[in-house]
Amino acid sequence: MSQRLRLTAVSFLNARPITYGIERGMVGTERFDLRFAEPSRCAAAVAAGEADLGLMPIASYAASAEELRVVPGIAVASRGPVRTVVLVGQVPWEEMTDIALDGASRTSQMLLRLLTKESGLHPDFVEVPHDQIADAVVGTRGALIIGDLCLHIDGRFRHVYDLGEKWHSLVGLPFVYAVWAGRPGVVSNEDVALLQESLRLGLQRRAEIGRAWALDNDVDPAVGENYLLENIRHRLTSDEISGATAFLARSHQAGLLSKPMRVRLFDAPAPLQPQPRSTPSRDHLLTDAAAGERLSLDEAVRLYSEAPLFDLGQAADLRRQSLHPAGVVTYIIDRNINYTNACTTCCSFCNFHRAPGHPQAYTLSREELAQKLRETVELGGVQVLLQGGINPDLSLAYYEDLFRFMKANFPLAIHGLSPEEIRYLSQREDLPVRTVLERLVAAGLDSVPGGAAEILDDEIRRRISPNKCSADTWIDVMREAHGLGLRTTATMVFGFGESPRQLLGHLDRLRRLQDQTAGFTAFICWSFQAEGTRLPLTDDTGSLRYLRVLALARLYLDNFPNLQVSWVTMGPAVGQVALRFGGNDFGSAMIEENVVATAGTVFRISANDIERCVRGAGFIPRRRNMRYEFID
Amino acid sequence: MTLASISEKLSAGIPLSFDDGVALFREPDLLKLGGLANQMREQLHCDRTTFNRNLHINPTNLCVASCKLCSFSRRSPEQPGAYTLSLSQAWDKLRARTDSGDPVTEVHVVGGLNANLPFDYYVDLLEGLKRLQPALHIKAFSAVEIFHFHKLYRLDVREVLQRLLAAGLGSLPGGGAEIFAPRVRQRICPNKCNADEWLDVHRTAHQMGLRSNCTMLYGTIETIEERVDHLLRLRTLQDETRGFQAFIPLAFHPDNNALSHLPPPSAVDDLRVCAVSRLLLHNIPHIKAYWISLGIKTAQTAQWFGADDLDGTVQEEKIYHLAGSDAPQALTPAEIIRLIRAAGRTPVERDTLYNVVAQGEALPACALPAGARP
Repeated sequence: MSQRLRLTAVSFLNARPITYGIERGMVGTERFDLRFAEPSRCAAAVAAGEADLGLMPIASYAASAEELRVVPGIAVASRGPVRTVVLVGQVPWEEMTDIALDGASRTSQMLLRLLTKESGLHPDFVEVPHDQIADAVVGTRGALIIGDLCLHIDGRFRHVYDLGEKWHSLVGLPFVYAVWAGRPGVVSNEDVALLQESLRLGLQRRAEIGRAWALDNDVDPAVGENYLLENIRHRLTSDEISGATAFLARSHQAGLLSKPMRVRLFDAPAPLQPQPRSTPSRDHLLTDAAAGERLSLDEAVRLYSEAPLFDLGQAADLRRQSLHPAGVVTYIIDRNINYTNACTTCCSFCNFHRAPGHPQAYTLSREELAQKLRETVELGGVQVLLQGGINPDLSLAYYEDLFRFMKANFPLAIHGLSPEEIRYLSQREDLPVRTVLERLVAAGLDSVPGGAAEILDDEIRRRISPNKCSADTWIDVMREAHGLGLRTTATMVFGFGESPRQLLGHLDRLRRLQDQTAGFTAFICWSFQAEGTRLPLTDDTGSLRYLRVLALARLYLDNFPNLQVSWVTMGPAVGQVALRFGGNDFGSAMIEENVVATAGTVFRISANDIERCVRGAGFIPRRRNMRYEFID
Repeated sequence: MTLASISEKLSAGIPLSFDDGVALFREPDLLKLGGLANQMREQLHCDRTTFNRNLHINPTNLCVASCKLCSFSRRSPEQPGAYTLSLSQAWDKLRARTDSGDPVTEVHVVGGLNANLPFDYYVDLLEGLKRLQPALHIKAFSAVEIFHFHKLYRLDVREVLQRLLAAGLGSLPGGGAEIFAPRVRQRICPNKCNADEWLDVHRTAHQMGLRSNCTMLYGTIETIEERVDHLLRLRTLQDETRGFQAFIPLAFHPDNNALSHLPPPSAVDDLRVCAVSRLLLHNIPHIKAYWISLGIKTAQTAQWFGADDLDGTVQEEKIYHLAGSDAPQALTPAEIIRLIRAAGRTPVERDTLYNVVAQGEALPACALPAGARP
């Protein structure tokens, strides 16, 4: 690509750190041609082919998300108050009969309309020119004010609602205002790396950028500085992608968007591994990791082998607190449907599978499935986790029909088919994994569970599950799924005699992929449940090892927003304690579970029990969906 | 009262105050609290966790007390499930164990407050057990039962104890303490002896050279202040007599009793009570994580939150299982040893009086500082 890449960006203060390195000629001087434009022009320029990449408002992106890809790792977002998108009025929101809108901002408008609609309010909306907006507030007329004007209105209005804060408290996820987006294929890995470098330089100078802007605009320098340091966040992590996806989905449900959309990213360069430091002390390592600094593989192996359990737990608990400061522990109501137990994989640790043709082999009929789905809806379930054996009788068309049938009849999300099942379909149908996934998505697949990972190390896999996909394949299927905008989870089962390095190596593979795709929403681990399986238990699978592994995972997986505790395998009591060892999610009030149940583990608790457990452990329970969006 | 100032007191060996106890129960950082308790536990017992081989015999479930917290008792012989073991049935339980080649070193005998049995029943029961296995240690009759004998048979507490001692009594278990505060006692167990009476039985026993244990039932309607008050009353008696060997926190289980509307215990609360008891009860040597009550996994974890003993192999536990405990009925010594090892501690078999039982191998050396690895 010899031609220069044409970039067009909004000129708002909050986007400044993103363009900083390029603007200052510090990165990509040979590569980028950067122009600034009005927000709505950024998307239009890309649509018209006048620009290759636009730093565009999320509403503009949403209008044509299907044709666009997003640059990984970069966004304008907030996780709480944003300060510069506010609804003001002399009467409370509920009493506003009409609301004046600033025609310049489609994203803020869309957010306001969505929040208003979801609150069951129906005011009239009136467009008013930007410079007259504050004066429009009279009587029961409110106004949506955006941008630096918000920094000048202190005390003028009796009621001020920060929409960033409102969104966050409602949904529990960040709000994304703008992203870099363009047509597929226009940027290379190197371009992405340069854009990320520009942001990295900008983030180092945030305070300075904020102060300089404030001086130019007659605002207290501290205000400008705080705005960039406290209110605006510039990383597009898994949580921001979930937040943006939630916004698109809710806007679609509210009739503000014609189609449901996913956020799809450009490919990202492989991340650099952190340089191991010159053997810092153990306490030092823990303090750093608790503060969110990245551990190297060697450092993590050392902590795994040497650190006292309490110290690991405390560090993980601190890290959990900084990621989830509100003290909320989430859970989901879903049903685990194991649609078939016929399986040709024959893993030695599995007590669930039967060979196809075995008298106990089954595949659920439509009627049986429909019955289970009906019960799930009645019990308040929002999702089914659909996983089964590798059954050679079931074709891709079988799953497509099944998903269409489910979607047509039940309001349930389909969290289905582990990478191994997807890989098998690709082999059976002789189609690329991507095509299999695209067809499943078109039929209704919503997200992919992270099963069949066990330990992502081929030496272990050959020993315990020689017929299952390799570690590379597992990662590749997940990469494809993330590329299609699917969110997935990741799991790990330990206790197969793996070494600390193999165990941490598993986490390392997950962390590296997450750096590139940000597609994992959560990590779940548990210990091998041996009863009745052909694999003798020779390893420590007790609760204290579980807590050690969980705490270390919280510290190592610095780019995973959520860690589920596994009460299904460890029991509710260990689940509660695990919330102090890095866990922030109580998993699922599972209506049904068959796989570990056949290996001797039978813990079952209801949503009420989960809430009680969570409260008993000192947290606030909230119900969520697969994106970790609050839905209660 | 900050954790730091409490920590300073602990390092200086200053007993914690009532306010310290309340602050510890309210401390939000469970792991910091656990860390402090673990420090004290390791100073006292290094990385060892003790257990013994024992058997439970509950001679009768007929009981005049009708405590709301209980799922075990029956009021009259006509009620379904009501029973009183004949002496030979009770002895057979021990004989079965001896014959099975898996002998015990202790029997733990507690039962209902039966108004119709003669005192000789109990005397004969103990004598018969001793005949079967002269070296057996009999840990029998909670203070509530001793007090009931005193009332029913019109004998001094001292005389009750003397007669049982002559029949083979080795020590007293710690049950029936529940919560000392009259407000709580009135509501959950109004017919049990009161706090002073309970403490007096133990005082008398200690004066006679008997050792005993003590307990607290938590998770019903007690406040944090009432928990601390309870623990401090135990500590005060211990300062006077030095007769308590172990404190056993007992989690309330709500199935099949008159308090079923209460939630079952939370593992976090279990660990908290364990840790705070360790810190407040500096003069009671052992904190027991009674695995029947806590469940095996929490009992494993509790060994890092102040507990240094797991009770015994136990067989035929009735009282907690009727209240919904899903712990197994018994563990073999090999299982107990395995679960202590898996928790990162060194298992040591003891007798009832906490003497190490030498099993042909020397006591493992103390590996302080422990804590690197469970």
